[in-house]
Amino acid sequence: MNVSSIRQDFPLLRKDKPVVYFDSACQSLRPQQVIDALVEYYSEYPACGGRSTHRLADRVTKEVEKARETVRKFIKAAKKEEIVFTRNTTEGINLIAHSLGLQKGDVVISSDKEHNSDLIPWQVLVEQVGIEHIIVPSRENNTFDLAAFEHILQKQKSVKLVAMCFTSNLDSNTIPAAEIIKLSHKKGALVLLDGAVTIAHQPIDVRKLDVDFLVFSGHKICGPSGIGVLYGKQKLLEKLSPFMVGGDTVAWSTYTTHEFLPVPEKFEAGLQDYAGIIGLGKALEYVEKIGLDNIAKHEKELTVYMAELLGQIPNMHIIGPDAKERGSITSFYIPGIDSHQIALMLSESANIMVRSGQHCVHSWFAKRNIKGSVRISLSFYNTKEEIEYFGKQLKKVVSVLG
Amino acid sequence: MFCFLALIVFAIMGIFSASNRELAKEALACVFTRVTFRPCRTNFKDKTKAMLLGKLVTRSAVVAKFVNKNFELLSWAFFILSVVSTIWVAKGVYDYYLYGNCNGLNSSGFCVFDPKGLNSSVSSLNEKCYVKPPTEANVTLKNSNFSSFPVKNPQAKKKIIFIGCYLCDYTRAAYPQIKQLLKQNPDVSFTFAHFPVKAGSSYLSNYDYCTYKEDPKKFWNFNDLLFSSSKADLYDNPSYADKEAVKAGYNLDQLHACINSAATKTAVEAQQNEIIKTGIYGTPTIFIDGTPYIGPKPYRVYEHGLKPWFLF
Repeated sequence: MNVSSIRQDFPLLRKDKPVVYFDSACQSLRPQQVIDALVEYYSEYPACGGRSTHRLADRVTKEVEKARETVRKFIKAAKKEEIVFTRNTTEGINLIAHSLGLQKGDVVISSDKEHNSDLIPWQVLVEQVGIEHIIVPSRENNTFDLAAFEHILQKQKSVKLVAMCFTSNLDSNTIPAAEIIKLSHKKGALVLLDGAVTIAHQPIDVRKLDVDFLVFSGHKICGPSGIGVLYGKQKLLEKLSPFMVGGDTVAWSTYTTHEFLPVPEKFEAGLQDYAGIIGLGKALEYVEKIGLDNIAKHEKELTVYMAELLGQIPNMHIIGPDAKERGSITSFYIPGIDSHQIALMLSESANIMVRSGQHCVHSWFAKRNIKGSVRISLSFYNTKEEIEYFGKQLKKVVSVLG
Repeated sequence: MFCFLALIVFAIMGIFSASNRELAKEALACVFTRVTFRPCRTNFKDKTKAMLLGKLVTRSAVVAKFVNKNFELLSWAFFILSVVSTIWVAKGVYDYYLYGNCNGLNSSGFCVFDPKGLNSSVSSLNEKCYVKPPTEANVTLKNSNFSSFPVKNPQAKKKIIFIGCYLCDYTRAAYPQIKQLLKQNPDVSFTFAHFPVKAGSSYLSNYDYCTYKEDPKKFWNFNDLLFSSSKADLYDNPSYADKEAVKAGYNLDQLHACINSAATKTAVEAQQNEIIKTGIYGTPTIFIDGTPYIGPKPYRVYEHGLKPWFLF
């Protein structure tokens, strides 16, 4: 993997004094290929897909279906009908939450490191429908406690859904999804994985995992913002009632009746983000070309090196397990120093972009009474030199704020 | 405290930059929450502090650390300085409006509203060699008697004494303002004293003395004619002054007899001594009810001198 050559694909990184972008877990940077695809759509064939029959519309339909096929291959789904385009991960989770037909007393299980997008929908259903939402506490090192999960699972008469964050956006620790799915299925529960972080950093094989639903966003894997994917086993998707209905979800309608289109169209209401879909397809092709195994290896090296450097700073608390058990994210806090101040100072003084705060995992921070953390999220375009530079600058900032 | 300081600073900086206007808005929101005793939710202070420290740390980590440790104290110090400087600026604007100079009446210090200092400029008495340069504080009417100079409406309570030079630009700039002031306020006593600062204008003191002596009523017309003449025409040119005197209605024979008399010479010398005793160091110097206005001031300044505001 030639990182220098890869960096040339990213407009922000080929500048004379490029930023050090360590916020890829929020949004990754986009390569020129994706930007070009968006520009090409808007300038060459900015038409509707799946509706009009003219030449431009036909091209849109074909490009959208090509992107759907790219997504299918990327996550190794069986059929492209199992790929539903959404706005983002959050919409995908909400679609499941509202379409699954959860009833009073139904049990949904999540981990204690869920992003708000996989926590609030269940909390709302607790209030509105009366479902039961159970949280699985993590082990002391913040990794998933499979035994605790199994225990909770066994204690329940029945469990309707296990909705889990595949890889945490807090510490990039990946849960043992295969075992969780196996146990859940044994109990008759469906499994929804939030793959927002995972998708850009390790290969996912939905069939091998046997996961029922997987959601992710385009903007975390070099794709445009505003586009996401819900994968669902076709049989399950067919059973779900659409969460949002309207244009392009029905085959026909009268004043009193309608007939929904088959999946995935019945879930894709209204005019779609064609540019986003096409851009996402390009992004996945781009990442595929680099290779997710190469990416994972490169990021692991960087994360381990990052942990070494951070370990040299006094009072440093790194959230989560050892670097070897984490992915590309390193969250840390130093008691007495505000994480936002660190982030702002790094931005102002050293052109380094990191995330600060509670990263939409407020619940985790609230439980532990921690104000927030600085989150460094790396990607395949980051380098060891950037990490060295970051280490030096962070020491300087900490010496000022400490 | 920081919010208040930031509001002042960014509001001023916002005049010049849109990004600072945004910060000023945030500071205002922060101030508003503070004054309503609610917690500031914008993190404005932390954000601005970090941005400031971020800039500082690139230059000196030691200074950045010091600022971080003493941020609240420094905020207070800068706030007090801001308040003081704001008051100072307000006073400057006030002084400029009332006295034509930000630093007060007759000051020759730099004023941003009058960068060239035109409102305080005088034609200097540069023939003098002072041990100590004269200052406006020493200019006074206390030691002088102006009863021998041309005077209009001598019984009036309010008095203006105009010491000027026919050939001096600054006197020429001030004279129309004073004329306008007199037109608006006819119940004011007005004394004119010619002080020949510029070469080629000494002879006009004798003309002034004699024209007023011959016919005080015609003098003011003659005076106006001299001020409306060009400097080139007036320069060391008694025959030109004669022409203007004739225009004003004077008899030249009588006038010349007076001008050339020894008594006139003595009287004019005495008049010049009275002017010098005021301590003036240039023209125009205009006394309005005893207060000297040195240099050509805007009309409003003279008007305020004549009719001061209630408190000032």
